[in-house]
Amino acid sequence: MRRWAALLACVLWAGVCLAAAPADEITASWQLVADHLGRDAYVKLDQLAGPPTREQAFAQAVVAIDYQPVTQERLHEAEAVFEQLARGDDEIAAASAYLQARMYQIHYQQQDYAKAVELFRALAERQPRSHWAQLGLVKTGLLLLYALPEPAKPADRIAAAEALLPRIGEKKLWRDLQLQLGRAGTFYEQPLDTVLPHLLAADRVGGLVGQVNADLLASIGELSLRAGHYAQARAYFERYLKEDTYNMRQMTVRRRLEDLAVLEAKAREVKP
Amino acid sequence: MNRRIRSRLGLALFFAGYALAVIWVFTRSTPILTDRPVVIRVAHWQIERGPPDGLNAIIRRYEELHPRVKVEQVLVPGGGPIFRQWLRSNLVGGTGVDLVEFGIWLDGMSDIPARYFAPITKEMLSPNPYNRGTPLEHVPWAQTFRDGLISQQVNAPVPGQFYAATLTEVSTRLFCNRALLREITGGETMPVTLADLRALAGKVREFAARTGRPIYTLAGSRDNAEWLAEFLMQGATMRMSQRNDRNGVLGHNNWDELEAYLDGRWSFRSPEVRAGLELMREIGTNMKPGFLQSQRDASAQEFLRGDALFIFAGTWDGTSLRGLATFPIEVLRYPQPTPDDPVIGKYLFGRFADGGGGTAMEIYLNKQSAHPKEAVDFLQFMSSMEGSQLFTDHSGWLPAIIGVRVPEAIKAYETPWDSFTFGMPYITIGSTIISQVALNMYQLDGPEGSVDKFIAAMEAVMPAAVRTDLRKEISNRLLSVRPQDVQIMALGALSRRRPEDPELPVSQERLESSQIQTEALLLQMNRKLAEAEPGK
Repeated sequence: MRRWAALLACVLWAGVCLAAAPADEITASWQLVADHLGRDAYVKLDQLAGPPTREQAFAQAVVAIDYQPVTQERLHEAEAVFEQLARGDDEIAAASAYLQARMYQIHYQQQDYAKAVELFRALAERQPRSHWAQLGLVKTGLLLLYALPEPAKPADRIAAAEALLPRIGEKKLWRDLQLQLGRAGTFYEQPLDTVLPHLLAADRVGGLVGQVNADLLASIGELSLRAGHYAQARAYFERYLKEDTYNMRQMTVRRRLEDLAVLEAKAREVKP
Repeated sequence: MNRRIRSRLGLALFFAGYALAVIWVFTRSTPILTDRPVVIRVAHWQIERGPPDGLNAIIRRYEELHPRVKVEQVLVPGGGPIFRQWLRSNLVGGTGVDLVEFGIWLDGMSDIPARYFAPITKEMLSPNPYNRGTPLEHVPWAQTFRDGLISQQVNAPVPGQFYAATLTEVSTRLFCNRALLREITGGETMPVTLADLRALAGKVREFAARTGRPIYTLAGSRDNAEWLAEFLMQGATMRMSQRNDRNGVLGHNNWDELEAYLDGRWSFRSPEVRAGLELMREIGTNMKPGFLQSQRDASAQEFLRGDALFIFAGTWDGTSLRGLATFPIEVLRYPQPTPDDPVIGKYLFGRFADGGGGTAMEIYLNKQSAHPKEAVDFLQFMSSMEGSQLFTDHSGWLPAIIGVRVPEAIKAYETPWDSFTFGMPYITIGSTIISQVALNMYQLDGPEGSVDKFIAAMEAVMPAAVRTDLRKEISNRLLSVRPQDVQIMALGALSRRRPEDPELPVSQERLESSQIQTEALLLQMNRKLAEAEPGK
């Protein structure tokens, strides 16, 4: 009896090991992809035995997107897998739906922005709180700002992208869209008082690092100066000097603070 | 000699040859078996005097610390066609070195970072482990560089991501032959302003005419002229850049200037650009005729022969010039124009930056490296306080890392923060434009050249050149954002599987954020290009 129990335990343990193996292999494959070793991940996934799980099928299609040389045929095959997986209602379904839209946005040689937006919107309807749906809304915002034929007027484009903001619950993604709304405002030379609120909103969320953060601070300072919001300009220029200590742009910011002092003095003279 | 002796002699000769080959293989060549299982190769083109010694010093120390790892330094003649072909063919063939020097300005190579280099952002945002026990112990690696790796971030395939660590800081300087200066002027007073330099150039011409010696104020070659042109053009156009600074970031990227050209915000006919070109032409008259036909080696020889009073060069040439010269050399900053300067005075924003704007000798990680962890580890040691000090002491080049002691002999290379920069000089904003400027430079210099001829030649090609360069920018950005989807998905999957790792969601969020910015840029460029298509 004891022998049978030991044998049963061994069989069960082997079963657990066998069941766990593909999952571990998939984790290892994801790690290879994260380490820029996509080719190794592709081979590893290809060698897994048995019928592929949803995650394995997903991982294989993801890796295929960047398997060199990338061919349109391989991309179409990947899209077919994403389309199939997107029919579920789990995380993999949302990620697959997002990637299917991305195929049309950037991966295919001939981009189809309208189709990409249609797929992003469908995902946002189905799984609105999913991270991939939220990210898809930000990408939709970018396409509305610059790529779709309609709306035609810059102000309308910005308004259409702004309308997506309430649907984006993830703070960092909300910040990124706010930043891009501000950048689109300067790109289309919109009134500075419509541009600045977006940049300020992005800054309030924070979390931007390096050059992007430094550019944002300098930009709010300079655009505030141009718009006549002197106190705000001073606050941001001073913050820039504190936070971006390595950049020779400090010299230009100091010069702009001198210019600002002159403007402030003039403004004081005008006031009764 | 009978047949038997002949065949024995042949056999003996064969065995002797074989024995010699065996001895050679086992005693002279690289060991067939190494006791160090990990081999990292680092390649660069700084084969001037200095850097190879600096890097060797770093390698010796690193190998002491890591007995498992062997580091090989690969020297490739550089910057030009040989390096470019060597790099591309090795990367395409999957035989690239682990770490390699690269410059975004390398002609026809702008797709390389996106295709072949891996970002090192995660490591850059954490302290460099080799700075333990130093004042930089708790400082994120990126912030230990004297410039916070500003240029590397701007030029990265994805803005905000880090792809390279740098080894040195460079500046441009005038190197003066003091003995010749004394011979010409009777003293050793160095020029401080551009007006002083003009006056001195007059004396040099007078001296050459009087003595019949072929002496020029500046040693001339295409390379030195281009460095000088970039410096002067950047200074001349600062006010124009400020005017065109749509985003208010107080600086320009090359794509900003390409877009601004399509918008009609500047051209080679803009008064600031014309002033810069006039300065360039004036400077050219102080170099030997036909200088555009020669390269930097020729100008260095001209200077070392005592045929030129100054050479305008990067500090990268400093160790070679000082090591080879038979006369005392003074290093000085290029004399700057004053507000009353007749050519450029009215456009002057301030002193032009002649260094201090960024660190260089950028070393990138090959995506296909078999030992990415060890390669990054070596990169960290190379740019630690200890590694950087070793490099500086043995190369005579400035360090890239904060707090590293600068030897007295090269203190003149340091640039105090007393000058301004608004970004790219307008003549180097894309590889097609760079080629066109080089191709048409003869229209500016020489007795037959003129500013008007150069402007006419450039304006004839600029609309097409700008579009070509903008298309390249778009295509390079597409190359960089596409693989990021795969990375983002991998980070998302790993986050789900390892919720205890706090780094994963942060890396994912940063990558998504920078991808959004790159895609926005890409779409802006596309829109600008579509709006500016001929006929619209």
